[in-house]
Amino acid sequence: MNHKVIGIRDLTASTYVLQLERNGVAFKAGQCISLGVKDHGLNREYSTYSGEHETDFEFLIKEVAGGTVSCALRCVRPGDEVTFSGPFGSFVLDAPQDLSRRYLFIGTGTGIAPFRSYVRSHPDIDWQILHGVRTLEERYDHQDYDPERYTACVSSETGGDYHGRVTTYLRENPVDPDTICYLCGNSAMLTEVFDILREQGVSGNGLFTEAFF
Amino acid sequence: MKIAISYPPIINERGQTAMVSQNRNVQFFVTPTYLLPVVHAQAATWLRDLGHDVLWDDGNAQVKSFDRWYADVLEWAPDMIVFESTTPVMKFYWNLTNRLKQDLPDCIAVMTGYHSMRKPEETMQESATDIVMRSNHIDFVLSKLVPYMTDHADWRSSCDLEGLHIRVNNGEVRNTGNFKQVEPLDRSPDVDRNLVGWKNYAYENGNFLQTPGTYATSVIRDCTFGKCTFCRYNGPDLTFSIRSVEKSLDEYQRLIEEEGVREIFDDSGVWYRGQEARQFAQGLIDRGLHKKGCYFGLNTRFAYLDEETIRIMGEANFRFILLGLEACDDETLQRLNKGYTVGDVARNLEWFTRYGMHPHLTVMVGYYWQTSEQLQGTVDTVRELMFKGLARTLQVTICTPIDYTPYHQECLDGDVLLTDDYDDFDMSEVIVKTPIPHEAYYKAVRSMYGVVFHPRFILRQLLFLLSFRKRDWQFLFSYGWRALRRVRNHIFNLTSAGSSKSPPKPGSVSPQPDPVGAAH
Ligand SMILES: Cc1cc2nc3c(=O)[nH]c(=O)nc-3n(C[C@H](O)[C@H](O)[C@H](O)COP(=O)(O)OP(=O)(O)OC[C@H]3O[C@@H](n4cnc5c(N)ncnc54)[C@H](O)[C@@H]3O)c2cc1C
Ligand code: SF4
Repeated sequence: MNHKVIGIRDLTASTYVLQLERNGVAFKAGQCISLGVKDHGLNREYSTYSGEHETDFEFLIKEVAGGTVSCALRCVRPGDEVTFSGPFGSFVLDAPQDLSRRYLFIGTGTGIAPFRSYVRSHPDIDWQILHGVRTLEERYDHQDYDPERYTACVSSETGGDYHGRVTTYLRENPVDPDTICYLCGNSAMLTEVFDILREQGVSGNGLFTEAFF
Repeated sequence: MKIAISYPPIINERGQTAMVSQNRNVQFFVTPTYLLPVVHAQAATWLRDLGHDVLWDDGNAQVKSFDRWYADVLEWAPDMIVFESTTPVMKFYWNLTNRLKQDLPDCIAVMTGYHSMRKPEETMQESATDIVMRSNHIDFVLSKLVPYMTDHADWRSSCDLEGLHIRVNNGEVRNTGNFKQVEPLDRSPDVDRNLVGWKNYAYENGNFLQTPGTYATSVIRDCTFGKCTFCRYNGPDLTFSIRSVEKSLDEYQRLIEEEGVREIFDDSGVWYRGQEARQFAQGLIDRGLHKKGCYFGLNTRFAYLDEETIRIMGEANFRFILLGLEACDDETLQRLNKGYTVGDVARNLEWFTRYGMHPHLTVMVGYYWQTSEQLQGTVDTVRELMFKGLARTLQVTICTPIDYTPYHQECLDGDVLLTDDYDDFDMSEVIVKTPIPHEAYYKAVRSMYGVVFHPRFILRQLLFLLSFRKRDWQFLFSYGWRALRRVRNHIFNLTSAGSSKSPPKPGSVSPQPDPVGAAH
């Protein structure tokens, strides 16, 4: 299936939001779609960045140095078509209708993408986002989040909500073991954060992960 | 502790053996094929490193009869025995465990594998199994569980390692919660080749173009994609993990330089892609391993590896590339969550063949919705790809729902399963209701295998081989031999499908797998 490009919104020199026509495709917030440039014979998975009830699809994509698909997708123009397979995956909220739950969403870099989709789709849930980035400009679309609920851990610059990595933040600010935690990003971060949360008493039943690489 | 990691010989009444090992749909075959179960081999290595007495007990690879295997286990008298489950051999394992627990009451029986992982209560109910492990990371779990057991006599009631169903002394079952594996794969050791007797697996394996061959310690646990509905590597509790490129390169170097291995196959669900794939292939070149006469092979999927990566892989001496072509219509691919389209197939195959690789297609037929047009589309496309030389070998299997994958669940929910007897889930026949007669799918299988006898295909293979270095002539023979062997096996299976099937029972029979993975 192909979907038409509506636009590209540059966020930083290497990160952009790709906006596609929805074409009536239903999905659950946090699922991913395999996207590729038409006739290139390649695709990669990208988590949904927009909400379930929005008119268009949005994807938050980092152009990886030397990468194939992430770079090629940046060159598409409004009106072009991209290949689209999905939605796939089960990195979705377990019971979003249960408003008594408290969620902590921990993502690094573009790993924040599914969490934006969660909170836009389920605005009534009780959530906090912990976003690990290197620089201030990588706090992608941070103005979209309630500042009380969004904490940017910025490792290489000062001026964020916390100066340092998410792992250091979590060691200094232990998590209530009843919190349901969703982790998304690179595997190295996932394993480190997973260990910290387990040590802090969060049960494996309340931990969900999505590795990007 | 004395721990046996055991693969009993499972042979059916037709004299065919089944092999049970990760990423395999069990099929019964007459021709011997020995596949190293890599994760269990890592577990064995890890436990041995922790100081335990480990018996690597693969009755198939050690060419034992069931009776011989059983007598040897009784004589060795392990404190713990570890089995690996999958749907078509569940009844066999339950019977075996019950018998074993009578003969060795103190031996702790542990069931691993994807079937019992999804239905732990069932195995606890149907057998005297002591522990069901709800994890495919059995190396990580056993490396923690066994030391806990040796330190705590009351482990049945006190162990709280997640992901276990434990039989407590009063017969009750304790569930220690959902298992989540998020640990760096690099913590698990490389397979100790001597411990697992690697040479037993080095010759009889259809994935090897040259021998001795071996399986690498897999670079990816589960699958980077992990979305295909019929595949075990799909589930909310599975997150792929990845080994570091350097660690894997070190192992390849040792295998080539110290063990004299001439072919290394990586059995990961799907191998590296992108940057890691390029680093790995370049690493082989930088270390000069591409010039040692050793070939490399792997499983991948369509739409994953780009041309530049494939070019470097060709230079690095990659050859056997196993790709799942589950169907040749986009509707089926979409229903299976394959994440690629028919349009991607020819282009990707062109890249592989351009850089000297040998794509091997794993094709499936017999989905509960598959129409004659869809089936014919698969037959025509596959034959065309073979005629054009875009694929060099193929394997065609009947899609059988197993291990409570989403496809299995879909078949149950849609009431399309024709049997609930697990013994019938051995891929020898279609077991779902279909819109066209089952015979049409068997005919399609035969038609696709028949391509290897076609003069057009034979001519194409000859031309391909002529374009290669002289020693690649060996492929003519290995291709021909493997192709004929498969055709023979499959035709034998399909023509005897449904005839006097009876379940393998401990002491009478035993199951053997297909030489290559089911699909990717
Ligand atoms: C389930 C899933 C969801 C994903 N969702 C997103 C998403 O929402 N946004 C997104 O940008 N990426 C996402 N990715 C990663 C994406 O699929 C690609 O791997 C990435 O775009 C690189 O592809 P490429 O072809 O350009 O690079 P390749 O040539 O394939 O190189 C891949 C390498 O790039 C690096 N890499 C991959 N992703 C990132 C990243 N996000 N940041 C930094 N380095 C990276 C890794 O080293 C990786 O091995 C997701 C991956 C998975 C498995
Ligand atoms: S079929 Fe292949 S690509 Fe699909 S989830 Fe399984 S291993 Fe991965």
